[in-house]
Amino acid sequence: MEQIASAFRFARRPEYPAGGSIKVNLSESCIHVSDTKDPLTIVTRLDTIVPIMSTAFAGSVLSAALFGQTRRAILALLYGHPDQSYYLRNLVRTAGVGLGAAQREVKRLSDAGIIRRTVSGNQVFYQANPKCPVFGELKGLMVKTAGVADVLRAALAPLAAQIRLAFIYGSVANLAQRSASDVDVMVVGEPSFGEIVSALGPAQETLAREINPTVYSLAEFKSKLKAGHHFLSAVIGGEKVFLIGDEHELRRLGAKRLGKPA
Amino acid sequence: MSFEDWVRNGWASQHKSTREEIERLLALADRDLASCATTGLATDWRFAIAYNAALQSATAALAAAGYRASHEAHHHRVIQSLALTIGASRELIRRFDAFRKKPNLSSYEMGGTISEKEAGEMAAFAADLRQLVERWIREKHQEFKL
Repeated sequence: MEQIASAFRFARRPEYPAGGSIKVNLSESCIHVSDTKDPLTIVTRLDTIVPIMSTAFAGSVLSAALFGQTRRAILALLYGHPDQSYYLRNLVRTAGVGLGAAQREVKRLSDAGIIRRTVSGNQVFYQANPKCPVFGELKGLMVKTAGVADVLRAALAPLAAQIRLAFIYGSVANLAQRSASDVDVMVVGEPSFGEIVSALGPAQETLAREINPTVYSLAEFKSKLKAGHHFLSAVIGGEKVFLIGDEHELRRLGAKRLGKPA
Repeated sequence: MSFEDWVRNGWASQHKSTREEIERLLALADRDLASCATTGLATDWRFAIAYNAALQSATAALAAAGYRASHEAHHHRVIQSLALTIGASRELIRRFDAFRKKPNLSSYEMGGTISEKEAGEMAAFAADLRQLVERWIREKHQEFKL
């Protein structure tokens, strides 16, 4: 199933907008996706798609300090896609972890109720457990440290010196996201919209999600904040996940009405 | 991917274009480019008008090539077709498509989602594209005698 889900995510890339029914044929080394509207055959080795996902979990200082490598990768995958379940081999491949270590981790995590283990036929599936008392906290932690935010931070890094403030807002920031949620990103600084779109292009492919940036110059951001501009006020008042800068920086730019700390 | 593939996929249909039609599309683009330079316009409107100008230019190129985009995902197709018409780079198309995805006036109840910077870039983009398309039609489709 997850192979099919991966193929769907692949097929959902912007070049292939959703529409029509999609048939997926799996063979040992290839996925063939054909859409009744958009017939396309992607002859790509499955394992050339999957490692792209695992880069989403690389290089996170915060989550690396909190969790061991395998636990972090598993939590990032399962809590980053809480509406999906994975069977073990698929989880191992997608998260890019070793089988033995993954077996130990999923046992500990499911014994603790952090992830849910379900048996269907002769397959065992693992999924984030929404009944876990710290489900919301873990999901937030993963989004902020090991998931989307990390990929976006890395993508914006080459432009960071010219960016005063960048944060995720909207459904991803307030953790209402499902896997298919678009990621809304606010950027304040010198780069043009075009430069930001180019910088975020590869991240869009890595995350298999639409990223919608809004780019303000510092002067316009300040003046609109001062004037109580309705769209910016709503964004500022909502949940945010900071990529560059922080709440303090936002206040310095003139945000009066502060939302809950992200 | 060629236009033959597009037709087979139902993304475009063949279309017998006329010089009048192409001139009309380019004139619409010019009208919109002039309109979005009007002072005192709200940023969202300026953006939307410039976006429309860019879309008309892309449609003109597609018409000159002898095709019309399908109704389904129409804007997306028109934008992607620039690779097959004027040979637009992936970068140009990605940028245009990102403009397309900006929340627009009709889909966002609160409005005001476009920054000055974005509206300015959209207008500059539309003006450049207008020139690129006309040059391409003059060079590659002399039958229209532009």
